Amino acid sequence: MCGAHAAVRHLIGGILEDDRHVTVVDMEAGLEHLSRATGRHVDTLLVTLEPYYKALETSRRCVLLGQELGIPRVVGIGNKIRDEVDAAAVRQFAASHGIPVVAEIPFDDAVRRSDLADAPFIDVPDSTAVREIDRLAGWLLAPPP
Amino acid sequence: MRIAIAGKGGTGKTTIAGTLARLLARRGRQVWAIDADSNPNLAVTLGVPREAHAGLTPVPRSILRDDPADDSGKRKILGVNASDVVDRYGYRGPDGVRLLLMGRVDHAGAG
Repeated sequence: MCGAHAAVRHLIGGILEDDRHVTVVDMEAGLEHLSRATGRHVDTLLVTLEPYYKALETSRRCVLLGQELGIPRVVGIGNKIRDEVDAAAVRQFAASHGIPVVAEIPFDDAVRRSDLADAPFIDVPDSTAVREIDRLAGWLLAPPP
Repeated sequence: MRIAIAGKGGTGKTTIAGTLARLLARRGRQVWAIDADSNPNLAVTLGVPREAHAGLTPVPRSILRDDPADDSGKRKILGVNASDVVDRYGYRGPDGVRLLLMGRVDHAGAG
């Protein structure tokens, strides 16, 4: 995979910056990509925060690696939040490690159902999770304060 | 803007990446979605029809060439324009999102 990591890194680095363009990179699970500096040329790193210990611990290390790479904007996004207990767990973990949380995406069983139906999740009508991801899109595009 | 999504496997990275890419496109941005996972699934959450998946061509490593400024011969640079890579290998999905596959591993031990 070494060649693939390098290709991703150089391709991202070669993309010219302009306001109309957005590149979204779905990274390989875990820390491999970040430790190989694949994300060096991104300006925003979104790290998932799912409320269970192993996931949060991996996320914390992703945040650290992102910061070490010098990525300007490294933020957490809560995901699969089922209730206020989940939300509090994510917020508390993030706060104790200095990770800003910019979205809290609720658990939505429609993700599993749309996967089984081989349909894209975005087409689920009235999904609160899709609505929160759209709010995240707006936050990303908003000029920094 | 160049956004990457990271985290532990199974935490929803790909679902978020695909949905976010579509929503950014609906907000008028030209979106390139890069699947850098060796087990690529971004096409599904982007809504690329299943019939089209087999025809998706991964971006070859030949987009890189040796860095002429490096004597060791180990360092690489991008040998082509990124936009040419997208034109040639980017699949045009729903909402105009262009999907690029980077890391498919077809055989155990490949790469």
